[in-house]
Amino acid sequence: MAVKHFEAEVRREPSGAVLDLRGEINGFAQEALDAAYAEAEKENPGAILLNFEEVDYINSTGIALIVGLLARARAAKRDLSAYGLSEHYVEIFNITRLSDFVNVFPDERSAMGDRRQQENLKPEA
Amino acid sequence: MTAPRNGSHRTLAELSVPSEPGNERRAMEAVADTVEGLGLPGRTLERLKTAVAEATMNAMEHGNRYREEALVLIEVSATDAEISVRITDEGAGPAAFDPETPDLEAKLDGAQTPRGWGLFLIKSMVDEMNVTGDERHHTVELILHLNGRKEASDGRKAL
Repeated sequence: MAVKHFEAEVRREPSGAVLDLRGEINGFAQEALDAAYAEAEKENPGAILLNFEEVDYINSTGIALIVGLLARARAAKRDLSAYGLSEHYVEIFNITRLSDFVNVFPDERSAMGDRRQQENLKPEA
Repeated sequence: MTAPRNGSHRTLAELSVPSEPGNERRAMEAVADTVEGLGLPGRTLERLKTAVAEATMNAMEHGNRYREEALVLIEVSATDAEISVRITDEGAGPAAFDPETPDLEAKLDGAQTPRGWGLFLIKSMVDEMNVTGDERHHTVELILHLNGRKEASDGRKAL
């Protein structure tokens, strides 16, 4: 079986930078994922949203890669959110406790809505 | 491949995959196809697939050192009460699993490597996991109980 390709693209939205992920998140995804995350970090967004809608497989190495992104986000005091995970991968985010640190939403609309709410709650400078 | 019934214990398939990165998905899909007719709930099937993929990946990486000529053998069998998937590599000595229980906060603080989720995922996804081995092989057996299976509303296995 050919190993499925992984792609990640960065999209700028008012609520933050969105990483549109496609394919399989395994060891082969590391380079592309890290490069896309570095691109997303440019312009210092308050939040980065991981879009898993077109991800059909995440293995334990992929979980480790997501842990690495979370560590980078925390070091930069940046919110990390995820949406579009299948029910199975929501369960994996729960049992690994990733969902304690990454805000998990069913879809982009709810993720963006939460971000807007967070922005509105921030005290004015 | 289907073998004849052996009493109430049926061998449903005997499969093998070369030890090449990515082949765990091939193993996972083959096992899913094999158990398709057993009526597993979708959530349970997804758990079994993840456990098979992780155990196969471990066998290819640690048991067979990603030598392509070294096969990972997968035997799927069932009784009325359970499904068993036995995953065997060509490694010697104790089966290599990271013994450290993953702790996400420790990983985020750099006290643990970000990796090391494989065994944890396997144990979380199936009802039993047994590891055996000799001087030429390791076998990881994954067992799903079919009767009286209860799942908590958050998707976690009932203990």
